[in-house]
Amino acid sequence: MLSRVLRGLRAPPTSLAPRAAPLANLDQAQRAVGHDQQQPGRHNVAGRPAAQDGAQHAAPLHHAALLDLRDVVVRRGDRTILDVPALAVWPREVLVVVGANGAGKSTLLQVMALLLAPDMGEVRFRGEVVDARRDPVAVRRRMAVVFQEPLLFDTSVFENVASGLRLRGVARAAVRARVETWLDRLGIAALAGRAARTLSAGEARRASLARALVLEPELLLLDEPFSALDYPTRQALLAELPPLLASARTTAVLVTHDPIEAQAFATRAMALQAGRVVAAGAVRDVLVAAGLAPPL
Amino acid sequence: MDVLLGAVVQAVRLLLSGDREVLRVTALSLQVSLTATALSLLVGVPLGTWLALARFPGRRLFLGLVNTGMGMPPVVAGLLITVLLWRSGPLGQLRLLYTPTAIVIAQFVIAAPEVTGLTVAAMQQLNPRLRLQILALGATRWQLLGLLVRETRLPLLAAVMAGFGAVISEVGASMMVGGNIPGQTRVLTTATVLETSKGNFDLALALGLLLLALIYVVNLTLTWVQQRERPL
Amino acid sequence: MRPRAGMLLALVLLLAGCTSGAVPARPDGDSAATSAGTAVPAQAAPAGRPANPEVILATTTSTQDSGLLDVLVPMFERGSGYQVKPIAVGTGQALALGARGEADVVLVHAPEAEQEWMAADNGTARLLVMHNDFVLVGPPDDPAGVRGAASAEAGFARIAQARAPFISRGDDSGTHKQEQAIWQAAGLDPRGEGWYQETGQGMGATLNVADEKRAYTLTDRGTYLARQSGLQLEIVLEGAKALLNVYHVMPVNPAKFPGVNAAGGQAFADFMVAPATQEIIGQFGADRYGQPLFFPDAGKREDEVGS
Repeated sequence: MLSRVLRGLRAPPTSLAPRAAPLANLDQAQRAVGHDQQQPGRHNVAGRPAAQDGAQHAAPLHHAALLDLRDVVVRRGDRTILDVPALAVWPREVLVVVGANGAGKSTLLQVMALLLAPDMGEVRFRGEVVDARRDPVAVRRRMAVVFQEPLLFDTSVFENVASGLRLRGVARAAVRARVETWLDRLGIAALAGRAARTLSAGEARRASLARALVLEPELLLLDEPFSALDYPTRQALLAELPPLLASARTTAVLVTHDPIEAQAFATRAMALQAGRVVAAGAVRDVLVAAGLAPPL
Repeated sequence: MDVLLGAVVQAVRLLLSGDREVLRVTALSLQVSLTATALSLLVGVPLGTWLALARFPGRRLFLGLVNTGMGMPPVVAGLLITVLLWRSGPLGQLRLLYTPTAIVIAQFVIAAPEVTGLTVAAMQQLNPRLRLQILALGATRWQLLGLLVRETRLPLLAAVMAGFGAVISEVGASMMVGGNIPGQTRVLTTATVLETSKGNFDLALALGLLLLALIYVVNLTLTWVQQRERPL
Repeated sequence: MRPRAGMLLALVLLLAGCTSGAVPARPDGDSAATSAGTAVPAQAAPAGRPANPEVILATTTSTQDSGLLDVLVPMFERGSGYQVKPIAVGTGQALALGARGEADVVLVHAPEAEQEWMAADNGTARLLVMHNDFVLVGPPDDPAGVRGAASAEAGFARIAQARAPFISRGDDSGTHKQEQAIWQAAGLDPRGEGWYQETGQGMGATLNVADEKRAYTLTDRGTYLARQSGLQLEIVLEGAKALLNVYHVMPVNPAKFPGVNAAGGQAFADFMVAPATQEIIGQFGADRYGQPLFFPDAGKREDEVGS
């Protein structure tokens, strides 16, 4: 079991949790691509190569990976707050990053979102290196981020949800159609004209999710999106969101410290502690290793 | 009391009679001050936003400069600009002294730090994560500025009113760089001072009331825009 | 909100765009903000536009306040094609501007300061233009008994002796300098005395203060006549030699300051002493006050003035 946990960092999951059934075919496809590679580098948390074909490949580009982090280090002063030698996000997976407060989860998310440039290392999006320092607007427009706070603008709900589309210069008619669709899917169509200031926490969260999902991004990044919600609201969203993501075939990275969220969503997991990855692999295994779930 | 009443009567009479000199002076006041305010917005809002959000060595020093500029006596600004625009000065070739353009420059120097400082304060009130969210939505730098300005539109409109109020009522610098030349650089404030020193108190008061009325109308318009559309 | 705010901004910029460079037309004819007008005689055909049309005239506030320039300057502009920028400041500042080459021609009324100025090579000529006179005004009951004094110095001495309240402009203006000269000639130094106060302001404001306090003050006849109806003060002494206020026009020296508009400055000086202009000067104020405010003196020697 330990070896399975240690192996999971770079390789996509070789065994999937039953609840992530829709993604089973994907796993087969990715295995065919020859993803099981050993990572050279300092701390080889990737562990031994996969057992499937026994071959050890050098680690060239992984074209199939949506997002690829290499040797990423983020420092603040003389403290290292993030140290990730290798991390990949594969298309259509839902990767959950767990860890205690201060473990570096949000920092990792910001590096992935190209909002924070690491002090060392590189980030690749679909194989191409991207530098957060150089204002990579085009690549950022292929992602969407939902932060812990809704961070809505001081305008109507409709305008909030439309904001990303307007930034991209989408035509008025298309904006209207897409916004209305997603307001509907998130169940807040009736709130379209309301001022965002006046929404409840749950409504605001739905609005911020709609604002991200309406963009139909290739990669969706969520930073503890449900932490501020009460139990029933959280339950409702946890039930609604996975199908939405699946039907839109969105790749997602979810940061959370809640094991229930992790298990509701994710196809693969990773645990961060003091900026380093200490466990990776199947969701349940990682949660147990990180002490967030009781062993089976 | 009847001095004030007499002044009000004379002010109304001046306006209604369409006294050419008064109209000219009023029009020039408006043109010069609106231009200076608009310019200080164009410079002050982006500058203030950058100062609020960027981190660079010497930022605090620069902010201190801006805040000092806010408190600078307009007369000092006028004197400095006069020396610059003198024939013997570095910008003497431009022949700008004693023209309305010189007054615009002086008023810009007075209003710009004000607008910048108030913009910094307004931007620093925002949630620091908001900037990240806007960038994450795929905004370019200019789009980021535009959205931040939209988020802070209420305090920014207040900054506009403050800037405009400061320059339309300014007299020392306008007198110095403009020369208060009749028909060319005489504005409401300098005309008021002139009539006062001549002892024509009624006329001076009337001009002063006219100035107040002008400020009120402009601020009323801006306030109306500011307080509009607060959808419940 | 977007379109409305955009419209507002456009309106602001439009209004703003109408300024800067666009100089509003000069005032002509009467209007409430300028003082008396005299009949303007027919003009000679205007000259062609000169190469450098801008002439900066440094003069004093009291000259400006008298309203004479509002008549003469448009005349000069029409006849010559020059555009004059009259900068009305205190005598000291006017001479200082000339001494820096920041003005093209200076018109002031402070003979001693002018002579120093000319001695420093700041001007090409010092042309006598006109004079008006000062009068000593005071409360109608004349508590210090100034009426009948033989000279200005004697009148001042009576005020000092009676310790009657006296208001001075105290602003280094031509009027102030004249007043100081009289005190000095009388061998007195009233500064610091309780009955002697300085306002630091223009003539009109100073007259008001004197009126309020029922005090004596030295004023130019023109300002007094213009404000007479609103004041209780009366003329208690006039006509003395020391009360004459003599005006000279001095073009700034281009050899010392290459940037000055020498042709323009000279043209204005010539205009001020030209016979047609002198006649206008001699009539200025007559229809409004019953007596002229200025006395043309071009061509005379300085000691001939006032005799």
